[in-house]
Amino acid sequence: MAGAASVLSDDSRLSRLDRGFYRLERFFALLSGIAVFVLMLLAVFSVTGRNIFNQPLPGYVDWIEQIMPLIAFMGVSYTQRDGGHIRMDILVGALKGRALYLAEFITTFAILILMLLLVWGSWAHFERSFDFSSPLWSRDSSMDIALPLWPAKLLAPVAFAVLCVRLVLQLWGYMRAFVQGMDEPVGVPLVLDAATVAAREAEHVSRREDKGAN
Amino acid sequence: MEPIDIGLVVTGGLLVFVVLGMRVAFAAGLAGLVGLIWIFWSKKGYDPDEFGWALTVAAKTAGQVPHSKVSSQALSLIPTFILIGYLAYYAGLTRALFEASKRWIAWVPGGLAVSTVFATAGFAAVSGASVATAAVFARIAIPEMLKIGYDKKFAAGVVAAGGTLASLIPPSAILVIYAIIVEQDVGKLLLAGFIPGVFSALVYAILIIGMALTIKGFGPPVGGFSWRERFECLPAALPIVLVVVTIVFFVYNPFGGDAWGTPTEGGAIGAFIVFLMAVYRGMRWAELKDALLETAKLSVMIFTIIWGVLIYVRFLGFAELPSAFADWITSLTMSPMVILICILLAYAVLGMFMDAIGMLLLTLPVVYPAVMALNGGVYVSAEDSAFGMSGPMCAIWFGILVVKMAEFCLITPPIGLNCFVVAGVRPDLSVQDVFKGVTPFFIADGITIALLVSFPMIVLWLPGLA
Repeated sequence: MAGAASVLSDDSRLSRLDRGFYRLERFFALLSGIAVFVLMLLAVFSVTGRNIFNQPLPGYVDWIEQIMPLIAFMGVSYTQRDGGHIRMDILVGALKGRALYLAEFITTFAILILMLLLVWGSWAHFERSFDFSSPLWSRDSSMDIALPLWPAKLLAPVAFAVLCVRLVLQLWGYMRAFVQGMDEPVGVPLVLDAATVAAREAEHVSRREDKGAN
Repeated sequence: MEPIDIGLVVTGGLLVFVVLGMRVAFAAGLAGLVGLIWIFWSKKGYDPDEFGWALTVAAKTAGQVPHSKVSSQALSLIPTFILIGYLAYYAGLTRALFEASKRWIAWVPGGLAVSTVFATAGFAAVSGASVATAAVFARIAIPEMLKIGYDKKFAAGVVAAGGTLASLIPPSAILVIYAIIVEQDVGKLLLAGFIPGVFSALVYAILIIGMALTIKGFGPPVGGFSWRERFECLPAALPIVLVVVTIVFFVYNPFGGDAWGTPTEGGAIGAFIVFLMAVYRGMRWAELKDALLETAKLSVMIFTIIWGVLIYVRFLGFAELPSAFADWITSLTMSPMVILICILLAYAVLGMFMDAIGMLLLTLPVVYPAVMALNGGVYVSAEDSAFGMSGPMCAIWFGILVVKMAEFCLITPPIGLNCFVVAGVRPDLSVQDVFKGVTPFFIADGITIALLVSFPMIVLWLPGLA
């Protein structure tokens, strides 16, 4: 299931950090959303330019390829915070209390290991194309209009590093919930059953639909 | 251990983590990375001094996958299609579509239910989200159906089933994802979904008309709209048609001549049309920001699975697991058609527990080569093939079947999400009620899938022209 979830808060340091960091994540995600919008505008310019003014947009494909990482990576932590990455929750949905927090801790820790290795690996990928002594600091460039590739490559390690911080916060949250045996863990996405997810979705859509129907 | 054994062990581990509830994208990425380390290290005879080397090479191999795979023009269709979906709510399209559908076709037996099917199909097409479509139409269409005496459960079933028509009619994000993973032409897949999508809607409509004619006290037809009233309601619903037509024309020009551009451009123009409509209907920055954030979230979710799975695929290549699985499948003595049907049934079961996108991405890297091998290979000609179609055509056909299967799972118990959503919107209906109401459509879908399997031309005719 889509794994929509909500995150509880209280006045603990963890929760304050969670909410503070969420603002940064939200900003990153908004950049990603704006990039989608720009992608749309680019295509409109490209098509009208080509068909009406007989003047295609130079480097259209190059620009798309540079924008794509912005869309694909910047919101990765925001989505993790809200529990938006899909998973199979048939087992964790049945777990409660400490057993649940333990399972969540293990899988979240596994993600942290992966992401730390990928920050390293994607940084290496960026480093291969970055060079202070080259023009535009760039060792490689796009096919058509020779845009430097390193800025887009840099986005992956940056976004993944932000995700690592989020994962540490979540591990802290699960640990705290486990140690204190909390009923309502703070700072981590709650597991919701299908009915609740559906009800949320329905409510969300209804609100949007009402605005649209005006 | 041989690479193939490493492949099997790592894949087993991946499944354990997925069942444990690890986010699918990261489980796949981790499995791929661990597998790469293992394979590289095994080549050095597990020498402890060489572990650091294996780790470095694996991390660097995996580390270039996210950027290099995501920077693709074809993938840019996904966020634009998603944006169309979120903007569509603000464009006031749902009520307009239902109204138009009602005025034009509700005069047939079971008319209001038939109108609902076509309105949901139309909106689902642009919104691309089956679940959200079901939620919206549960609020619009069910009250109207109840007013004129439809059975409550049946009315709920119509809406839940109508929502599933989303994924085949263009713009369909899930077909784009399929095309990318199996490296086939995105445009042809989008085109291929069109007729099966409309066909599914027609099967639903025929079913409803049949029920209306045989069951006493079924909802009456709704007539009495003048032509003037009919034409008046069209402009508000027009953007939907425009979006679908634009995307089709950017892939294939049915009047001969060149297509208008690339699918990417078609998707973006479609989004722009809906955006203008939404602004006209009063969307402002606050709503746009909301739509952009939602778009970002869903896009990131999909892209993360894509690169995660592609790291795993990189490893699978080293482990030669897909080719081994394909060899095994082709060595079976059962007829290829029986095996294909078994694969589709397996998807029906899997789909009950897993989101369609996650399910497809996770299984296709192994299952798709096997299906292609079953048909006689990627480059087989239609004459020599098992299913009577060339390799690329088989890829398209299988894609449509699998996606239809995944949608089918949205209305199957125990966790058919569309049914939960409809029940969530209507406090007077339990989930069991909706499942009961959706049963006829469940059977109709079974028939549709059987027809798509038996008569591949329904799927392949249109992409064959392009």
